[in-house]
Amino acid sequence: MSNLSTVTNNTSDAGLHKESKAAVLFKKYGMLIILIALIALMTALEPNFINSNNIINIVRQMAVIGIVAIGVTFVIITSGIDLSSGSVIALTSVIVATFAQEGTYPLIVAVLAAVAVGAATGVFNGFLIAKGNIAPFIVTLGMMTAARGLALLFSGGRPIGGLSDSFQFLGQGMILGIPVPIIIFAIIGIVSYVLLNKTKFGKYVYAIGGNEQAAMIAGVNVTKVKILVYSYAGLLSGLAGMILTARIASGQPTAGTMYELDAIAAAVIGGTSLTGGIGTIGGTVIGALIIGVMNNGLDLMNVSSYWQQILKGVIITVAVYIDARKHKKK
Amino acid sequence: MKKKVLGFMVMMLVLTSALAGCGDGGSADGEEKLKIGVALPDFDDKWLSYLQDGMTTYEEEAGNIEGIYVDAMNDAAKQMSQVETFISQGVDAIAIVPVDTESVGTIVDMANGADIPIVVVNRVYEGIEDATAYVGGNSIDSGIIQMEEVAKLLGGKGNIAIMNGTPGHEAEIKRTEGNKQVIEENPDMQVVLEKNADFDRAKGMTLMENWLQSGDQIDAVVANNDEMAIGAIMALEAAGKLDGVVVAGIDGTPDALEYVESGKLQVSVFQDAAGQGSKGLEVAAKAAQGEEVEKMNFIDFELITPDNVQTYVEKWQ
Amino acid sequence: MTSPYILQMSDISKSFPGVKALQNVKLDVKKGEVHALMGENGAGKSTLMKILIGIYTADTGSVVFDGEKLSISNVSEALDKGISMIHQELNPVPEMTVAENIFLGREPTYGKTGIVNQKQLIRNTKELFERLNITTINPKAKMIDLTVAKMQLVEIAKAVSFDSKLIIMDEPTSAITDKEVAHLFDIIRSLQKKDVGIIYITHKMEELKQIANTLTVFRDGQYVGTDSIDNMSRERLIEMMVGRELSHAFDKEHAARHEVALEVKNLTKEGKFYDVNFHVRKGEVLGIAGLMGSGRSEILETIFGVMQADAGDIEVNGQKKKMRTPKDAINAGIGLLTEDRKLTGCFLPLSVRDNMIMVNINKYTKNGIINQKRIEDDCEDQKKKMNIKTPNMDQLISNLSGGNQQKVLIGRWLLHNPDILFLDEPTRGIDIGAKSEIYNLIFELAKQGKAIIIVSSEMPEVIGLSDRIVVMSEGYQTGELDRSDATQEAIMELATRGELIKRKTS
Repeated sequence: MSNLSTVTNNTSDAGLHKESKAAVLFKKYGMLIILIALIALMTALEPNFINSNNIINIVRQMAVIGIVAIGVTFVIITSGIDLSSGSVIALTSVIVATFAQEGTYPLIVAVLAAVAVGAATGVFNGFLIAKGNIAPFIVTLGMMTAARGLALLFSGGRPIGGLSDSFQFLGQGMILGIPVPIIIFAIIGIVSYVLLNKTKFGKYVYAIGGNEQAAMIAGVNVTKVKILVYSYAGLLSGLAGMILTARIASGQPTAGTMYELDAIAAAVIGGTSLTGGIGTIGGTVIGALIIGVMNNGLDLMNVSSYWQQILKGVIITVAVYIDARKHKKK
Repeated sequence: MKKKVLGFMVMMLVLTSALAGCGDGGSADGEEKLKIGVALPDFDDKWLSYLQDGMTTYEEEAGNIEGIYVDAMNDAAKQMSQVETFISQGVDAIAIVPVDTESVGTIVDMANGADIPIVVVNRVYEGIEDATAYVGGNSIDSGIIQMEEVAKLLGGKGNIAIMNGTPGHEAEIKRTEGNKQVIEENPDMQVVLEKNADFDRAKGMTLMENWLQSGDQIDAVVANNDEMAIGAIMALEAAGKLDGVVVAGIDGTPDALEYVESGKLQVSVFQDAAGQGSKGLEVAAKAAQGEEVEKMNFIDFELITPDNVQTYVEKWQ
Repeated sequence: MTSPYILQMSDISKSFPGVKALQNVKLDVKKGEVHALMGENGAGKSTLMKILIGIYTADTGSVVFDGEKLSISNVSEALDKGISMIHQELNPVPEMTVAENIFLGREPTYGKTGIVNQKQLIRNTKELFERLNITTINPKAKMIDLTVAKMQLVEIAKAVSFDSKLIIMDEPTSAITDKEVAHLFDIIRSLQKKDVGIIYITHKMEELKQIANTLTVFRDGQYVGTDSIDNMSRERLIEMMVGRELSHAFDKEHAARHEVALEVKNLTKEGKFYDVNFHVRKGEVLGIAGLMGSGRSEILETIFGVMQADAGDIEVNGQKKKMRTPKDAINAGIGLLTEDRKLTGCFLPLSVRDNMIMVNINKYTKNGIINQKRIEDDCEDQKKKMNIKTPNMDQLISNLSGGNQQKVLIGRWLLHNPDILFLDEPTRGIDIGAKSEIYNLIFELAKQGKAIIIVSSEMPEVIGLSDRIVVMSEGYQTGELDRSDATQEAIMELATRGELIKRKTS
């Protein structure tokens, strides 16, 4: 590191870049503005869109992807990637379903099983990435395939039904008129926000993504933080798998297919930068809601699935383009 | 639960010993077994796993067959190379469930070129007459049977919402086509909503929730498979709107049968997975021994309603 | 009539934002001459060469090459005109063969098909190697399998293969052994016979006598002089290179004799530095001087746990310490301001505040939750103390100027309050105003009793700041000077001695 470039005088001492107020505002709240615009558009096109039932509906539908996306946000901020989330959902789904059979174990056992399975896959990912120095893309790609295989092996390829009512409550129930998945999503959102913004761990996550070398020199235990990050992402995938299982009342080895990509999309739309060091929980939640609002609105209007996919692709590309523009300015 | 874990362990044990057994070479009774290569598109698919079970059951019963099962993971190119491997291994016959209906023609030509009988199972394609035999249903029939029953239940009129499977899938295209043929015959029935939910329960549920928010009058939800139909039922139930909506699926999976039993799922269509599997292997074995075989072997679709559901429940036991 | 000169550059100036890299310099190279170009780091040698081969464009001045006025805007144009360069840092395509690397972009093809004629390619390479008497390299070998020295030879062969009229060699001997140096010199002499002009950049004075005919010296972006090598003594050369008044006033009292804070004994890192011994006392500033590649930064990084020593001891306050990671060093009370601010210092996507608190978040954490208020207070405090120019603490550090970024990074360590502070190139790339602020800060810290080690390529800075100076050369500690004996000439003398030691030991 000491024989690298000599002169780095590309920043003049004139001080800060000047930016227009609108640009600053858009940078900060850009995706929120887009979400509101999208909601307004949907309401204009389909009056049924804007009623409290439907809004609750959208948030509940996005809870699973949203929870996964929050975990993925941590990972992407460290400039990593997690492709295994969807398969971890499936693995959790079938294992949890066996612990949630009517008249067997108390509910807490199933919940703990979800947390344990998810976290275990995450620890494994994190260990190989941080200690083994293997690229996150490769490690999680391997986990994506292996976890799906394990789920199929464990379930024999068949769905597992017969889940207890108390377990199903986690996916289908309401507390004070609010669906349980939304409550879990909200708790995870708040906890993750605090973790990322108010704790040492969170600062280290940003530091590693911002400059891993500098973080190491600042005394950050990079290996440990990375393992924790992947473990947390795995744990959240596990919880997401639990909610999905409870919601559809069935442990499914094929559940969660491609969810990892939706989760990454939500994070990226929400402003998380794939180059690391940038991203927020709020942004990711907005990103998930943008996907949810779009899916829901297009369903209401009976727009074909083909168009839905094309639009999602366009939004992701635009989000990444905005991100790239932001970086270019510097 | 304990049973499940035990079952899992037993399975692992069986798997290990089966693998160990492979090393022995010939079978114990000394008799040369018929080697039949079985190319399946996707081990993950639930319905296909029943089909595979039908095959293995037949294999055990027959005693003189050794099936080699391979998974193409829904990759047509992979399936092609797997069949190439079968040919170079010199199997006695091939049974194949094609990944797609385009590439299977080439695969059949390959087998024909090598003089190995090839039996196409479950999925028909343009040019099926080149294959040694076909075993399976006629996808469009399942759509027809399903919608005819829905029409009967609705008295020939009403708003239909169609839930399609994964876009481009043979079953998605043909079953929906069958649905629409029947709708055309009933002038008072119309498709008000139609969308893909990828044969997936969670996606079917989400789609149904959104449809319910649209405020459109829906008299029946007709899904390309049972999983999506179950998802729709769960969404309808949660909204308290299941009464007065006919829900129909296809496949007759064990989960679906429970819903039929409780009257929530009023229509399903049984595509006899195990029947297709065992018949497929049977035809392949016959062809391998040089026997003359029937070209088209249709395994009938059967309508499942709350009235006859018990028969099918027993089938799975 | 033909001019005896192959190259005449005159009145060349070049500015970068905030820095005048070259001011009206000149360089004249005769045909068939080896013209050495010398000067300290940052004297402007590389900038001039980059102008010559079209990487930079000069602000003023003219270039006459082979009797023709020249304006070159990219490297391939320079090659076409007959100028090639052997870079100090090699850029081979590692997975391609030697032959493919040499003829990259101009491979022989079968007619116009675009299909590479591999046989011809190998034949051309063999011919080239025969011409240069290179016998130990297989044209079909992959670059990645070669030693650095052989790669260097390939680079030289590549430069020669263009049949250039002028070849620039930027420290071509920095990575090769004596035998290969002799080989290189043979090649150079044979090129000379063909009237090829050679610009030879080096720090090694011993080489000059052997190979160079003429010498030009730059200093601080200015032309100092040109003379025949026969008229040049070591002493005169050093004076030409460094002879200037100190440009900053270093108002410093000699440190009082406090106890030793840090001591290293026989510290060795293979390939980087050998058998280094020094100590630094509380309240003392120790300078480590040396040219690039002398191992000075690596010593700091090793003590700080970025890399592990192969041998030797590190003692902090008289206690032996093992530094496995930077965390160990930080716990032992050491801080390191790294050499490259962007690469290993700043968290560019993060705010000024987050950049500042990263080392000692623990201080602000209670029950796992960070106390924002205390961070705010401390950061404001540092901002005022160090006169950091930023509208607020939420500002991204990437929006700050180099000098202010550096202050934030120093502030990061000051918040942690270490007893021993390593400052590696603390004023690199920052403006004069910020520089003097940082100097004052260093004195202030020393007065508070901190032990400080400073590494800098700017000799006046090291001399002005340090109580004592350890001089490194090529990984060897060649001497130690007290403040009273420290002149630039004395340091330069020691800083160029390493090759003598190296020769002795090998």
